[in-house]
Amino acid sequence: MIANDLLKGTLRTIVLKLLADNGRMYGYEITKKVEGLSDGKIVLTFGALYPVLHKLEADGHIKIDIEYIGKRVRKYYSLTEVGRSWAERKVDEFFDFVNTLTYVLKPTPA
Amino acid sequence: MIADIIDDNVDRIRIEIINLGLTYEPLVDDVVDHLCCMVEEKMEDGDSFEKSYAKAFNSIGDNRLPEMQHQTLLLLNKKHQIMKKLTYFLGLASAIILLLGAISKHMHWPGAGIELTLGLLVIILGFLPLYFIVTYREQTEKKSIIYPVIAYLAIAVLLAAAVFRIQHWPAARIVSNIGLAILIIGFVPLYVVNAFQKAKKGKVNLAYIIMLLVGVAIIALMFNVKFGKETLDTYRNEAILNESRIFEIEQQTQVIIDYAIEREYRTLDEIQKIHSEAANLQKMIDEMLDNLLSSINEEGSSLEEIRKMDYEGAGRDVIVKSGWARDFITSAREFENSLIAIVDDPVTRNQIQDHLEFTGSVWFMEFGPEEVIYDPIIKIYYKHTDISKGIALAEYVAISSLMGDE
Repeated sequence: MIANDLLKGTLRTIVLKLLADNGRMYGYEITKKVEGLSDGKIVLTFGALYPVLHKLEADGHIKIDIEYIGKRVRKYYSLTEVGRSWAERKVDEFFDFVNTLTYVLKPTPA
Repeated sequence: MIADIIDDNVDRIRIEIINLGLTYEPLVDDVVDHLCCMVEEKMEDGDSFEKSYAKAFNSIGDNRLPEMQHQTLLLLNKKHQIMKKLTYFLGLASAIILLLGAISKHMHWPGAGIELTLGLLVIILGFLPLYFIVTYREQTEKKSIIYPVIAYLAIAVLLAAAVFRIQHWPAARIVSNIGLAILIIGFVPLYVVNAFQKAKKGKVNLAYIIMLLVGVAIIALMFNVKFGKETLDTYRNEAILNESRIFEIEQQTQVIIDYAIEREYRTLDEIQKIHSEAANLQKMIDEMLDNLLSSINEEGSSLEEIRKMDYEGAGRDVIVKSGWARDFITSAREFENSLIAIVDDPVTRNQIQDHLEFTGSVWFMEFGPEEVIYDPIIKIYYKHTDISKGIALAEYVAISSLMGDE
């Protein structure tokens, strides 16, 4: 399991990247996908996921399509045009950050 | 088949979620669908609906839903987000201003006092209140308004005391005492109780610990680590020693003057003149010391009491700003010149000049505003006794030299 503190800042980037790769997804699907991709190491609780989704929606980065499954309301989240370019930037920034950290934490032997 | 079972129970799930404290409709929809998916998955593994349902609900935990709602609403609250950004901005701005002030002070550039004061005021009036409001709002657990208010007051008053000291406003000591009182009587007990409660839950708020450390660091600065108790004691002991030496020297001088009067020395007029000039300088020193002591708010403060005090600025205000230092040094230089004019013997002259070396530029620098600002009162007191001793010695040497000529 990866510590929550480490995840906190990257959750937004993870969500953006997943939506960029998979088109539209609903909340449970996102948590399952993350669990699968991380080999069970990252378990997104919905307490962490939904606040981020709602914030991204309020900022206009993602949009919601509603479908009814019987009485259930299923919300599919997908990137808006603004959100798509923003997602690319965020993912690039993240890789930059990871690469930098790798240089710092794993210096090549002199 | 499974989908039908779930569908029959959607309303039940919705009501239970609302009962757990989730009221924000968009989130309720999310959570209902999420839980339904979890139940579905468990049922596909072969569990009954009731069992799957119980498992899914157990995984929520009791407090998670209201906490999630609280976090979501805060994230969506524009005013709160702006406040948060403003907090970061003000924190950064004050840090930069303070750093600039510290550098200016170190390099003796002008404006250090203004920069430090401005930085502290931004912290007191801007950053701190916003910081406490933001963290208070972001707390989901039981909210006690007393704790952040007391913490704010303690830190704000202590920082205000720092402003008073930098600006050399008179009530600095009182303000820092009030801050200390709030810190010790109010904040520390609350903090300890809180820390214990949090320790039980395995949560300790790092921010408050840092605040406490900052407070302690400020207090340490207030009591000026530069002058430890031992240093202050040394100044006090030397001052007392000087006073007893001065007494002996003056007694001795009186003895030879009496002798000169008795024998009706030719140079008696000059001797009397030296004696009265020296007495005049001693009187000036006494007045400066009286002034210095009365700058401490208590009536009739003793040497014992000022030893404990370290009010920066007293020396500057009382000795330098009042013009005492300038008047005194001018008179002392005149005294020195008149002695040198009377005494022929070069060795005696050297002795006199040594005793009155404080009239020279090096000593005078020591009495300049730059130096005296940083001196504790006891050190200034000691310097005065040292000067007083020098005058008494110079007087004795000059008079005995005059009498030796006869």
